[in-house]
Amino acid sequence: MSIDPALLMAYADGELGPIEAKRVERAIAADPALGEEVARHRALRARLDGHFAAVAQEPVPEHLAAMLRPRVVELPARRRTVRMPAWAPWSGAVAAALVLGLFVGKGLPEQGVVRTRDGQLYAAGSLAGALDQQLAANGGAVQMVVSFRDREGRYCRVFRSQPADGIACHEEKGWALRQTMGGSRASTSGYAQAGSADPALMAAAQELMAGDPLDAAAEARARAAGWK
Amino acid sequence: MQATRFIHEQGTLRLAAFEDDLLALLPRLRRFARALARNPADADDLCQMALEKALLGKASWQPGTRMDSWMYRIMRNSWIDMARSRQRAGQTFLDADAGADIGVDGGAEARIALSEVDAALHALPDEQREAVALVLVEGLAYKEAAEVLDVPMGTLTSRLVRGRQALMARLGETL
Repeated sequence: MSIDPALLMAYADGELGPIEAKRVERAIAADPALGEEVARHRALRARLDGHFAAVAQEPVPEHLAAMLRPRVVELPARRRTVRMPAWAPWSGAVAAALVLGLFVGKGLPEQGVVRTRDGQLYAAGSLAGALDQQLAANGGAVQMVVSFRDREGRYCRVFRSQPADGIACHEEKGWALRQTMGGSRASTSGYAQAGSADPALMAAAQELMAGDPLDAAAEARARAAGWK
Repeated sequence: MQATRFIHEQGTLRLAAFEDDLLALLPRLRRFARALARNPADADDLCQMALEKALLGKASWQPGTRMDSWMYRIMRNSWIDMARSRQRAGQTFLDADAGADIGVDGGAEARIALSEVDAALHALPDEQREAVALVLVEGLAYKEAAEVLDVPMGTLTSRLVRGRQALMARLGETL
């Protein structure tokens, strides 16, 4: 009796119903070579199983696991009593506390990662690219700390990088720099470390933010939609 | 500065089910990626791409259905995309041997055995390798594997039997 190789394989994998399995067993009884083939099929499965078992037992790389952990971002409590006018979010005591040059971009090189249009500073070059593309879970020369929507519904992102840390909000003309400060916390390697941003910057983000920060899925969706 | 608080508590609760399930699946997804890709670095790039797609496509996930099958499908499609885009860019994948001994404990013997299996797998055409990976590495039933690959059962079994025969021929003496 001839046995189709696929049938024999299915038998070795326990994929056959009782009637077909019986038929194969009768054929094996009559032809030991078929039994050896079944044993080889099972040995191959065991070999692959053993080979890849080690991969499933490896610790999962942190950058992958981080994508699936809801980001818990430590933010200063929102000040409920004082509501800054939307047109001057950085005025007064807050701005003073933040030690910020208002759009002066102190510590920010005038070219490369910044451009001006109509007197406003926008992200350019690699910074604009990172703001467009990089999810908060992924590190790089620019680190995205958190993304959120401001009260006008614009997407804003807190970033850290070697030349500067800051907050950029997506507008028609690009990523408007709402806030910058010298990238004092960036490492000398030029690779920003994950983790906490400057508390003053996070306080500023908290003031701008409407609702909660974006979770990983919402951030990925926002990126896919071009931050609009 | 006032006291800090954790602002994301609500979101954490809302997201827990989907993302925790994905996190629990991650070791298996990495294993599947390692069977598809040619070296550990490509495999983890593939995982990252698939996870990004899964997070984006979260709305298309139907609770109550099998998340592993859903993710295997996403990962397999990501692999096809990744292979195509690299081809377009004229990049070649790293040689299988280059990454074969990364992350493995044990002596030279273990490493030699590892590259042997990897080399045999990567000598297979993609369609045979993915069938082998789903059934023999991931332990899916034929029907489940056919659904992930979106092919009829007959196609799955013929790819599987050809892939296995090639592997058995190549690894014959050490099986």
